[in-house]
Amino acid sequence: MFIINCPYCGKRDQVEFSCGGEAHIERPKQPTELSDDQWAEYLFMRKNIKGVQFERWNHTHGCRKWFNMVRDTSNDKIHATYKMGEKPPIK
Amino acid sequence: MLNFNSPIQNEKKYNEIKITELEPTIKINLRSNKREFSTKIGKILSILPPTEANTSSGNENYSLLWLSPDEWLVYSKNKNQNFKDQIELEKKLFNEISKINQGAVTNVSDHWVLFNLKGNKIYDLLTKSCPFDFNEFKKKKGSVLQTIVNHIDVIIHNNENNDLNLFVRRSFSEDLWLWINDSASFL
Repeated sequence: MFIINCPYCGKRDQVEFSCGGEAHIERPKQPTELSDDQWAEYLFMRKNIKGVQFERWNHTHGCRKWFNMVRDTSNDKIHATYKMGEKPPIK
Repeated sequence: MLNFNSPIQNEKKYNEIKITELEPTIKINLRSNKREFSTKIGKILSILPPTEANTSSGNENYSLLWLSPDEWLVYSKNKNQNFKDQIELEKKLFNEISKINQGAVTNVSDHWVLFNLKGNKIYDLLTKSCPFDFNEFKKKKGSVLQTIVNHIDVIIHNNENNDLNLFVRRSFSEDLWLWINDSASFL
């Protein structure tokens, strides 16, 4: 269990949230020009880093808004949470 | 009276806790991210939608709860409002907002069931199965919270000191009612 700071509602328990996987994946500009392998790469392949990872989260049992999070997967330390469309505060 | 079949129709008293079902109550969900929306709501309900998170605004007839940056819930405080009042309010909001693409108006009177919890031990009761820290919440009159109680989604509105309104989805209302009664009997 850990506390997550929702950018809209404030600090809440982790059980109110659900993780939506890796963040900042750009949709290819010309999907029709991609090979099947490239399309599959975009659609299914995700990083599984041990360390600092950028993720999408949803406040499912609260405001139901999506937001981004910078989390260290090795110790669950949350470095930052920020709204969708905003630039990551940490590189 | 509203055309509403209450799932609970009960009132219980325990040691320092009183639980009542406050139905029928008009409840309307409002969604918009347009600028003119606030002024329209202000004109119709005489209340401005709160922009600060986890807060509410209200007058003697209605309360307007913040649910997310573009979503609010309006509910009537007056239990004696009839079906005609509900239709008129919904129609007015629909014509002024939905019809001209200023947002969405949804009548959720039958979707949510409203409980009122009163007494010195209501926070002891909720913390039995809610992960939220109520210390700041209970000090601030009018604060709003969306969380889970006993794994069930709820909206909680702090009316005043030790007096809460709790909204629960209709299909979960009996389950939560039974849990509240069971837990309150052990306090």
